[in-house]
Amino acid sequence: MLNQQKLRFSTTGRGTYNITTQISEAIEKSGIRSGICHIFIQQTSASLILCENADRTVREDLDTFMAKLVKDGDSMYKHKDEGPDDMPAHIRTVLTQSSFSIPIHKGRCDLGIWQGIFLWEHRTSSHKRNLALTIMGE
Amino acid sequence: MIFQDTIKLAPQGKGAADITEPVSEIIRDSKITTGICQLFVHNSFSSLLIYDTADEETKSQTVDFLAQLAPSSDGVTNAIDKSMEAIPEKMYAAVTQTSVSFPVKRGKPVLGIWQGIYLWERTSQPEERNLTITIIGE
Repeated sequence: MLNQQKLRFSTTGRGTYNITTQISEAIEKSGIRSGICHIFIQQTSASLILCENADRTVREDLDTFMAKLVKDGDSMYKHKDEGPDDMPAHIRTVLTQSSFSIPIHKGRCDLGIWQGIFLWEHRTSSHKRNLALTIMGE
Repeated sequence: MIFQDTIKLAPQGKGAADITEPVSEIIRDSKITTGICQLFVHNSFSSLLIYDTADEETKSQTVDFLAQLAPSSDGVTNAIDKSMEAIPEKMYAAVTQTSVSFPVKRGKPVLGIWQGIYLWERTSQPEERNLTITIIGE
């Protein structure tokens, strides 16, 4: 069985957004009980990560780490049409994931207790982000 | 249904080459209209990127950024001696992707308007590159 769905998220600037509930709802809607769910983001200035979901400072620290690694407004960047966070957003995306897949077991995301699926917005302003889900199994 | 093939890419210079077109052709010929497609590159001197197609600068700036993270022996990206550049080149392989996957719908890759599939070649002595393409769906 194969099911494809589109999900749309509104972000309010740089940071991580827990989308585990929305992904779980999409899996439930597909009726697939056992298989894999492939998640793909259709933009190159935001990305996907699997991350610890208990302590939000973990994700804040990830962002601090990334901000230090890829500096906004760095003079080495030429591509700044949309501001100092434009080029760093593309680099942050290359260093993280545009897609991954997770197992489905008994109709649910088979994640660890402390794992969550996060959309990582790399732009400092609000954006609409499109995800394409492909759920395969039976 | 599962379709699998090898894509042989002619040697190219350093940089990111858009391979969206040949990949799309194989998907079309596979007759699989809905599912997912996975690409895998068989070496650690090149990576696969889902990347921005709009601006050439974003690609060169990303390459510059990564070069700065793991400089070649002479401090620039144009090291001649392959053995000397091997270590940083393999570091890139760890922080970028050896495989990418994306949804297939109506016999085409489901990519965002500004997304393309790129092979990022890093050696100064380019070789033919082999990719395995696996398409799963119906």
